[in-house]
Amino acid sequence: MKLIRDFEYPPELEADFTKAKRLEWITIFYLLSTIVVMYLTMGNSQAMKTAWFEDLLSLTPSVSFLIASRIFLKKPNKEFPYGYHRVVSIAYLCSSLALFAVGGFLIIDSAITLIEQDRPTIGMVTLFGKSFWLGYLMIAALLYSALPSVILGRLKLPLAEKLHEKNLYTDAEMNKADWKTALAAIIGILGIGLGWWWADAVAAALISLDVIHDGYKNLRQAVLDLMDQIPKTVNNQEDDPLMQQVKDYLLRKKWVREVEVRFREEGHIYVGEGFVVPEPGQADNLTQLIADTTEQITQINWRIHEFTIMPVKELPQNHEE
Amino acid sequence: MLSALLSCDTFPKDPDKTLEKVRNGQLLVGYSENPPWVIKSKPAPTGLEAELIKTFARDLQANIVWQNDTEEDLFEKLEKKKLHLVIGGFTDKNSAKSKISFTRPYLKKEKKKHVMAVLKGENAFILQLEKFLHAQETKLNATTAP
Repeated sequence: MKLIRDFEYPPELEADFTKAKRLEWITIFYLLSTIVVMYLTMGNSQAMKTAWFEDLLSLTPSVSFLIASRIFLKKPNKEFPYGYHRVVSIAYLCSSLALFAVGGFLIIDSAITLIEQDRPTIGMVTLFGKSFWLGYLMIAALLYSALPSVILGRLKLPLAEKLHEKNLYTDAEMNKADWKTALAAIIGILGIGLGWWWADAVAAALISLDVIHDGYKNLRQAVLDLMDQIPKTVNNQEDDPLMQQVKDYLLRKKWVREVEVRFREEGHIYVGEGFVVPEPGQADNLTQLIADTTEQITQINWRIHEFTIMPVKELPQNHEE
Repeated sequence: MLSALLSCDTFPKDPDKTLEKVRNGQLLVGYSENPPWVIKSKPAPTGLEAELIKTFARDLQANIVWQNDTEEDLFEKLEKKKLHLVIGGFTDKNSAKSKISFTRPYLKKEKKKHVMAVLKGENAFILQLEKFLHAQETKLNATTAP
């Protein structure tokens, strides 16, 4: 059976890949610490509970990135001739589905709190021999859950683009936006302090909306990826210009009269086909021409992992532009 | 808002201004008998928790209006805001409905953590009571030590 080539990041990206993995490990340990701190301080506050769930869930992209990054480097074999790249898309689907589902649960939960006029009780806490209102400690915990997260997000974003890594990108985006969650929860708690019992549940609802929005955006992308949508850029979901580049490259070849290409994404990498109508009179060395051109095309960018050239008599008429 | 944050006396506030109403006014206390915590007697209950609440009311210059009933009925009145707090030797294992709140444990005895039931979400009032109970902790541990 014809297997696709082994995959490794090109040498110039190896360092970035290692750095991304290290940042994800830091993220996981940091998030675990915020989850503990927030759990201990969350008390009776709906907004804190919602923010806690969001932090808990924001573990999934980093965990799935690290798990996937162990698996996708495995060699293709007879059972999996296309290799293990799809594992990245599956991990992406799981993390976005979790986000979306829990967002839905949380908004219902906040709505019930509001409708039942359930008033949050936040009492006293003693810490280091001092006793004070627990609300202040909650605010401190929320600040701790937000500020380092924003920095981690900003560090991971450029790496995600370079590595064409959507899991990492989702994760970075979520980290970067985490201050909004913390701010909403802080306002909710200050609201409780001012005697506005509803402020907490309203803040919680706003946070859940944000979770749902993130979840939907990513879930949609994950499904589109698994359905073999054409490759899109990681940062803005535009058609990857690489496809046009390959087509133009083929058209510049003297032996090529007409060409049509198609690509699909397998995790980080693209697998594609080119349907070529050769100029007449190439029958003798057509195989050699195809082999050489195929080789050159996979050199254009590391993302084009495998490209197959198929000589055809004429291009199919049913294609759309 | 900032000035409210800086002065600890007025932050947090109660949604229903319970603490304001109680201070120099009436403290509505429900009790169900549970010796030695609460002992029924005339004209007012005695027992460790009853005495604590008397001191708490004195600090707030409030008159106590006592009401005796079963735990279940008292909790229902508390939920309907007809009482401010309920005592009866409750522990933190009490599984009463979520429409009322309990203070943080103010005393640990024989591995049981003792609490009082309070109006839900009246955070200034609850904080005031918890601070009062916390201040009594050393004295309580000394008197109830085996």
